[in-house]
Amino acid sequence: MNEDGSLVRLENIHKYFGDNHVLRGVDFAVKPGQVVVLIGPSGSGKSTLLRTINLLEEPTEGKVLFDGKEITDIRTDVNNVRTHIGIVFQQFNLFPHKNATDNITLALRKVLKMSEGEAKKRALQELEHVGISEKAEAYPSELSGGQQQRVAIARALAMRPKLMLFDEVTSALDPELVKEVLDTMKRLAEEGMTMVVVTHEMGFAREVGTRLLVMDNGVILEDGDPRAIFSNPSHERTKSFLSHVL
Amino acid sequence: MKTRAEGFTAWRRELTPLSALILAVGVASLGVSMGGTIVFVLVQGVGSFEQIVSSTTSPFQASLLYIGIVLGLLAIGGGYGVYRMMPTKTAREATLSGGALGVLAVLFSLSFLWFRSGEDFALFIRLFFSFDVLGPFTETFFAAARNTVFLAFFGQLIGVLLGGFLALMALSNRAVVRAPARVYVNAFRGTPLLVQLIVGYLGLVTGLGLDVSVYRTGIIILGMNAGAYTAEIFRSGIQSLERGQMEASRSLGMSYLQSMGYVIMPQAIRRVIPPLTNEFVILIKDTSLIAFLGFAFADRELLAWASDSYAETFNSTPLIAAVAGYLVITLPLIRLVTALERKLRSGLVGIGA
Repeated sequence: MNEDGSLVRLENIHKYFGDNHVLRGVDFAVKPGQVVVLIGPSGSGKSTLLRTINLLEEPTEGKVLFDGKEITDIRTDVNNVRTHIGIVFQQFNLFPHKNATDNITLALRKVLKMSEGEAKKRALQELEHVGISEKAEAYPSELSGGQQQRVAIARALAMRPKLMLFDEVTSALDPELVKEVLDTMKRLAEEGMTMVVVTHEMGFAREVGTRLLVMDNGVILEDGDPRAIFSNPSHERTKSFLSHVL
Repeated sequence: MKTRAEGFTAWRRELTPLSALILAVGVASLGVSMGGTIVFVLVQGVGSFEQIVSSTTSPFQASLLYIGIVLGLLAIGGGYGVYRMMPTKTAREATLSGGALGVLAVLFSLSFLWFRSGEDFALFIRLFFSFDVLGPFTETFFAAARNTVFLAFFGQLIGVLLGGFLALMALSNRAVVRAPARVYVNAFRGTPLLVQLIVGYLGLVTGLGLDVSVYRTGIIILGMNAGAYTAEIFRSGIQSLERGQMEASRSLGMSYLQSMGYVIMPQAIRRVIPPLTNEFVILIKDTSLIAFLGFAFADRELLAWASDSYAETFNSTPLIAAVAGYLVITLPLIRLVTALERKLRSGLVGIGA
């Protein structure tokens, strides 16, 4: 934890892609156990912001503090930090040449230095956790999108992270497969996992989120209780965005 | 799945009598002209060039070709004349296939007739098809074939190791690491292998004063050359993977090198097997260039063996033997790699997977 009791804290984050100023001074902190849902129109910088938390995007300016350490410090061992932050991607990004179990055990063995047997045990445990232990031997190409995404969640969880990041994880799924993934995430939230979720699923934001951030044009417009913001947004911009997606 | 026999029965059922006839004429045209010629020449004997000349210039062989032309023209006319009227797809394919076989038969027969009418046809046969001159060189031929395989294999081995390393360098974020790889790759791709061999050999032997054989120099330079091409093959294979693979791997806490080794490279290698095979086949043939440097007798590869044997016999048949040798090496290799590729495909999707 950081000194202020937060698990992760972003201070004045700016990010440029060339001349494109994508994040324009973002400050926010996530407390342990919070489920922070990040919404906003496309191009508003949600994904980039999420990816700065595990330094997949290096902020051009600003600091990221995670668990009591400034991880934007050049001397930080980024690989070690990342073992404590799980991320799930829109495109699943499972390793296609490895089956579900091996997708999970790879980092357990190579990064956490677990033995083959230990790693396998934990992999099966996590596959069970997300409800697809029967697909342990299946390759990604043999799984539906929803199943692949649940393996990806299990892969991230197996590292026993302190924080989970979800980057539009249901956007690439067929509508009938969205629910199984959202249900998995909901259960995680109920178990007390700290989560930051970029999504277009407003139902999820309302029901599961403990806090809602609305982003537009590289800044955070609203920050508060999801129900309150949905029923009474303070910004005109939020109102028009919500009227389009609700 | 239908068995082969069931498939054949179904095929025969859909074949109409006319389409079967046209297909049969097409098969017969090529069978008589090409098949008949081959069988006839073999039966007459290929031990000496005189036998081959007499069989290939005989009136009987000419009649085979003329029959082939007539049947071929019938198949072409029939096949392309009626294929639109065929009631089933099978029947239509049969008539078209009959026509295509007819085209082959006519082309083969006409070319052969033209070729054998040449003034120096007998001389050509004597120079290239005097198989009896090969007798004393049989043992050295197999040694040369083995040397060709070894040169290519070790050259490719160096090439793959070097190429993998260069590809990683070329993909570095740091210009000072990228630049030497680019210079190396472009220098070797941009200059002829023959020049590299000559300069490399003279450089090693006279420049550095090293006592290396042509054989070893050949392997080294061939490997260095292959490294440049292999580097580009690996680089394109790595770059063809989605960025998400590296991101997912790094997000799990794996280092850049771990991600490369366990996630990126295993996928990239599967993707580059076809271009890598292609490169290896080219390399096998490029071993022939080393002959320019002058091998020690026991180190000779196929081309060196062929030109030495040619010099001794004043006959070019060893060249034909060398050609056969290269094919015997390359064709099974291509099949082997195709089989390997299929095996490695497990779990991967893609067109034709």
